[in-house]
Amino acid sequence: MKSMMTNMTLCLLGAVLTLGVARAADRTPAPANAYLYVGWPNDGEVLPANRPFRVWFGLRNMGVAPKGANVPNTGHHHLLIDTDLPPLDQEIPSDRNHIHFGAGQTETTIELPPGTHTLQLLMADYNHVPHDPPVYSKKITVYVK
Amino acid sequence: MLIRAVAIVALLAVSSVMAFAADAERTPAPKDAKVYIIWPPDGAVIRGGKLWVRMGVRNAGVAPKGVCLPNTGHHHLLIDTDLPPFDQEIPSDRQHLHFGGGQTEARLEDLPPGKHTLQLLLADCNHVPHDPPLYSEKITITVPPY
Repeated sequence: MKSMMTNMTLCLLGAVLTLGVARAADRTPAPANAYLYVGWPNDGEVLPANRPFRVWFGLRNMGVAPKGANVPNTGHHHLLIDTDLPPLDQEIPSDRNHIHFGAGQTETTIELPPGTHTLQLLMADYNHVPHDPPVYSKKITVYVK
Repeated sequence: MLIRAVAIVALLAVSSVMAFAADAERTPAPKDAKVYIIWPPDGAVIRGGKLWVRMGVRNAGVAPKGVCLPNTGHHHLLIDTDLPPFDQEIPSDRQHLHFGGGQTEARLEDLPPGKHTLQLLLADCNHVPHDPPLYSEKITITVPPY
């Protein structure tokens, strides 16, 4: 009985692993030296309330392509606001905390309510799925006062 | 006299049609788009002649060469040269660097000591500037003697 359970567990584990490998294989490779960063604002920046500010997306050793354009070593930017990284093996959600820049934009203007906020960039491929390895920036904190 | 006038009118008509045809082939520029050099600032002194040029575009997107989508283009960095003709492909040489991979930063490593000018020019999927063309201010940087 015990060995049957173990067999089943192993089988299940195998299936999960296979699925995981299949999924990973589907992901778009990223250049090993790709470097993504928030160019502006700086980490810890204090920003005036009720005034939109620019967020500039910094990317090195990789290019930008709009969604749907499947070109090697490219992706499009996503700005994560007040949230952690989403699962890296599926499409990035699209909501107020996950802003997509599928038109190939390399900067944006946002306005945030007073308080402490985090910003982080995450690249995704033409299908909105993060690369393998994923390309994301340091998460920075800004203070809106 | 009359014949000559007719000929001139005809010539004008033909040339304006040709001009129109040439214009029609160019990709319209995204409305309100602006191309600018984020860094370095005009007048910067770059010791060692190595730098990352950060290429900015506002109200438009970046797309690699060959990807023809409205309101996009790819960056070209002009070094120590004036703007090329706008109705043809941007030359590709040491003074006209193409970023057809959709890059938004350019690494320069071999700028010799002296003054240098940098200017950005966006072009469509076929390397031809938009209509009207989208280019940045031309800035000057100085590399001090090594």
